[in-house]
Amino acid sequence: MTTVGANFVSTNYLANSLVAPVMQAQSQLTSAMTEESTGQYADLGLQLGDQSGYELSLKEQVGQLQTLTTGNSVVSTSLSTAQSALSTIQSSAQTTLNDLAAWTPTGTSGASLQNLGQSALQSLISGANTTSGDQYVFGGINSAVAPMADYYSTPTSAAKTAVDQAFQTTFGVLPSDPAAANISASAMQSFLSGPFAALFQGASWSTDWSSASSDNTSATIAPGQTVTTSTNANQPGFQQLAQAYTMLSEFGGSALSTDAQQAVATAASSLVSQGADSMINIQAGLGSSQSAVTSANSSMSSQLTILQGQVGNLDNVNTTATAAQITALTNQVQMAYELTSRLSQLNLAQYLPVP
Amino acid sequence: MSLSTAFNVISSSFAANAAQNAVVANNIANVNTPGYSREIANVVTNSYGGADVASITREANAALLEQVSSSTSQAAAQQAISDGLTTLAQTVDDSSSTSSTSGADQNGASPSAMLANLQSALTTYADSPSSSSAADAALSAASDLATSLNSASATVQQVRETADQNMASSVGTINSLLNQFTAANNAVVTGLQTGANVSSAEDTRDSIVTQLAQQVGVSTTVAANGSESIYTDSGVTLFQDTPRTVSFTATPTLVDGANGGAVTVGGVPITGANSPMPIQSGALAGYAAIRDTLAPEYQAQLDQIAGGLINAFGESDQSATPTLPSLPGLFTTPGETSLPSMTSTTGLAAAIEINPNVDPSQGGNPNLLRDGGISDPGNPAYTYNTTGAASYTGRIHELIGEISATQSFDPSAGLDSSASLTDYANSSVSWLQAQNQQASDSSSYQSAVATQATSALSNATGVNLDTEMTNMLNLENSYASTAKLLTTVTGMFTALLQAA
Repeated sequence: MTTVGANFVSTNYLANSLVAPVMQAQSQLTSAMTEESTGQYADLGLQLGDQSGYELSLKEQVGQLQTLTTGNSVVSTSLSTAQSALSTIQSSAQTTLNDLAAWTPTGTSGASLQNLGQSALQSLISGANTTSGDQYVFGGINSAVAPMADYYSTPTSAAKTAVDQAFQTTFGVLPSDPAAANISASAMQSFLSGPFAALFQGASWSTDWSSASSDNTSATIAPGQTVTTSTNANQPGFQQLAQAYTMLSEFGGSALSTDAQQAVATAASSLVSQGADSMINIQAGLGSSQSAVTSANSSMSSQLTILQGQVGNLDNVNTTATAAQITALTNQVQMAYELTSRLSQLNLAQYLPVP
Repeated sequence: MSLSTAFNVISSSFAANAAQNAVVANNIANVNTPGYSREIANVVTNSYGGADVASITREANAALLEQVSSSTSQAAAQQAISDGLTTLAQTVDDSSSTSSTSGADQNGASPSAMLANLQSALTTYADSPSSSSAADAALSAASDLATSLNSASATVQQVRETADQNMASSVGTINSLLNQFTAANNAVVTGLQTGANVSSAEDTRDSIVTQLAQQVGVSTTVAANGSESIYTDSGVTLFQDTPRTVSFTATPTLVDGANGGAVTVGGVPITGANSPMPIQSGALAGYAAIRDTLAPEYQAQLDQIAGGLINAFGESDQSATPTLPSLPGLFTTPGETSLPSMTSTTGLAAAIEINPNVDPSQGGNPNLLRDGGISDPGNPAYTYNTTGAASYTGRIHELIGEISATQSFDPSAGLDSSASLTDYANSSVSWLQAQNQQASDSSSYQSAVATQATSALSNATGVNLDTEMTNMLNLENSYASTAKLLTTVTGMFTALLQAA
C-alpha cells in the first residue's frame, strides 16, 4: 500500500478547503458594503468595544450643545423683546422730559400736564406688560400674570384709590376740589416727596401696582454658564416713571394753583430723568446677557465642530479604503469559485482510459 | 516448490486481492464522511510464500482528535456567550445613530442615550418653564427612559431564560449522546475480545466524542480492554463503562434576582457558583456563563441606574425645618413609599415608571415637574415653587444638575462606585460592548482554531481519492497478473499431464 507522508491531503478537505474562506470573505463583503453605503462601521458597538461609552458621551455632549443652542434662540427672542420694550419706555420718558421742559405754568396749562401724564402712564403700563410668546417679559419668574395693573380701569384701580386717599388724608380735600387751590407749593412738595412717594415703594408697590416677582428668570446658555434673561417691573426705574406720570396725570389738571403745579412739574421732571437713566441701566444689563448668549453660541458652535469631528473619527470608516477592500474581497471570492471548479476536475478517474 | 504450491499462492493472492479491494471500496465510499478514518490493509507473507491480509489498521490520530474536540468546545462556549451578549447589546444598540447635526435624539435606544435625551428635554423645559408642550416633552423623555430600562431588563430576563432552555436541551443532547456512546463502546470492547473489525464502531465513538465536545468540554482515556472513559474538562466522570446521569431542572421564568438550577453529573454540580468542579468549555459552559454571570451583572448595572435615577429625582422636605423623609419624585416604582437603598436595587429596572402624579395620561399634573410635590401633591412640604410662579426654574435646574452630579453606586455591579448617572450609564454600555467585542473576537478565533484542527485531522486520517484509485489500479494489475499466472500454471499442468 502507498505510504502516507506529510503531503497527504484528504479529498474531503480538498473539496471543502475553500468553503470557509469564501464564507468569511462573503461576510466581510456584506459588512464592507454596509460600511461603504452608510460611511459608518457596520456594527459600531462591536467595533468600538469599551470605547462605546466614550463615543456615547461625546454624542451626548453634542446633543447637549445643540439643545442649548436651540434654547438660546428662545432666550435671545425674549431678551430682544424686553430690549425693544425698554427702548420704547425710555424714549417715551425722554419725550415727556422735553415736553415738561417746554411747559410753562399759565391758568389753563394744567390740562396739558394731565394729558402728558396720562398718555405716558398708559404707554408705560402697556410697555411693562409686553409679552414674548405667552410670557410677560417684565414679570420676573411670575411670567404668567400681567406685571402692571391698569391704573385707569373701571372699577377704580387699587392704585388710584390709594393716591386719592393719600391726598385726602394730607389736605382734607380731593385734587379736583376747588379748595385745593389753597395748597401751597411747599406743602405740595412735601406731600409729593412724603406720603405720595411711599405709594410707589415697598409693599404698596407690590400690592397696588405690580404683580411681578422680584426674582428674574435665568437660563443656562452654555454648559455651566447661567445668565439672567429678564428684568422685572419692580425695578426702581418703573417705580420712578409710574410715580412721575401719576403725579402729572392726577395733579396736573386739578384745581391746584400754578405755583403748586410748577412744583408738580419740577418733581415729575426730576423723577422722569432718574427713571430714564434707570431704564438705560436695565438695558445695559440685558445687553450684556445678549452678548453673553451670542458669544456662548459662537463658542458652542466651534465646540460642536470639534466634538462632531471626534465622533466622526470613532464612527466613520475610510470609504476609499472600504472601496478597495470590496474590490479585493470580490476578487478573492471569484478566485475561490474558479479554484473550486478547477479542483473538482482534478480527479484521477477523469484521466483513466475507459476499459 | 511444487506446482500445487503455486496454486495455493495464487488462491491466497486472489483472497488478499479481494480483501484489499474491500478496504479500497470502503475508503472510497466514505470519502466524504466527516470523521471517517481511512483503513489500511496490512498484507503479510503466509507460510507457503503467498500473501494474506493479516489485519486492517484504522488510521486514527488521538492527539489531533483531542485537539479538535477541545477547540470545538472552546468555540462552542464562546459562540454561546457571543450570541447571548449580541442579544444583550441590542439594548444599547446605537448603530442606527447618526452624527448629523439634526435633532437631539440621535443616540439610539440605550438607557444612556435616553438619559441624555431627558437632560436635553429638561434644558429646553428650563428655557420655557411655563410651556406645557415643553413639560410634556420632558415627561415623554422621562417615560422613554423608564421604558428603555424596563425593556432592557426584559431583554436580560429573556436572554437568561433562553440560556436556561438551551442548557436544558444541551443536557438532553449530552444524555442521548452518552447512551449512543454506550452502544458503540460495548461494540468496540466485544469486538476486540472476539477479534472482529471494530473500525466502524471506533469511528462512531470518535464522532460521538466530537459531538459531545460541542456541548461540554471533554477529555478521554482508553483502558486496556479498549473501553473509553469520558470526563468533563473539569474532571467529572461522564462515562466509565456506563454513562453517568446528567440532570438539570429548567426554570421557565427567571426574574431579576432569581437563580437558575445547576447542571449535575451523578449529583456533582458542574455549573454555577457552588460547583466544586465547574466546566470550562462547551456550549453548556457558555450558556451557564450568560445565565449566571454576564446577564445578571448587566441586570445589576441596569438596576443601579434605575435606583440612581429614583434617588436623583427624589424630593426632599422643603419646610424651613425639614422633618419629613425624602420621597421618590419623577421616577418611582409601583407602590414605593421611600427612596431605594443603592445596595438593594434588585428588580428596580424592571419596575421603574414615571410617577402617576405627574403623568397627564394617568390624570397627573405635568406642572409638578417644574413646581415639585410629585411625591405627595397633597402635602405642601414637598413643593419647591411656593409662589406658583410660571417661570420658576429652580427645581428644573436642580434636576438637570442631579443628572450630572456624582453619586454612589454599589461596586458589586462591576462598575465605578462613584460616578454621575450619565457616566455610569455610559460605563455600562462600555462594559457590555467590551464583553461583546471580546466574546466575538474569541469566538472567531476559536472557530478558526477548530477549523484548522478539523482540517489537520481530516488530512491525517481522511481518504484521498487519487491514492485509493492508484491502489485500485495496483490491485487491478495484481489481479491481472495473478490470472495470467493461473493460466500459465494451468498450461504447465496440462503439458505435464499430456507428457505423462
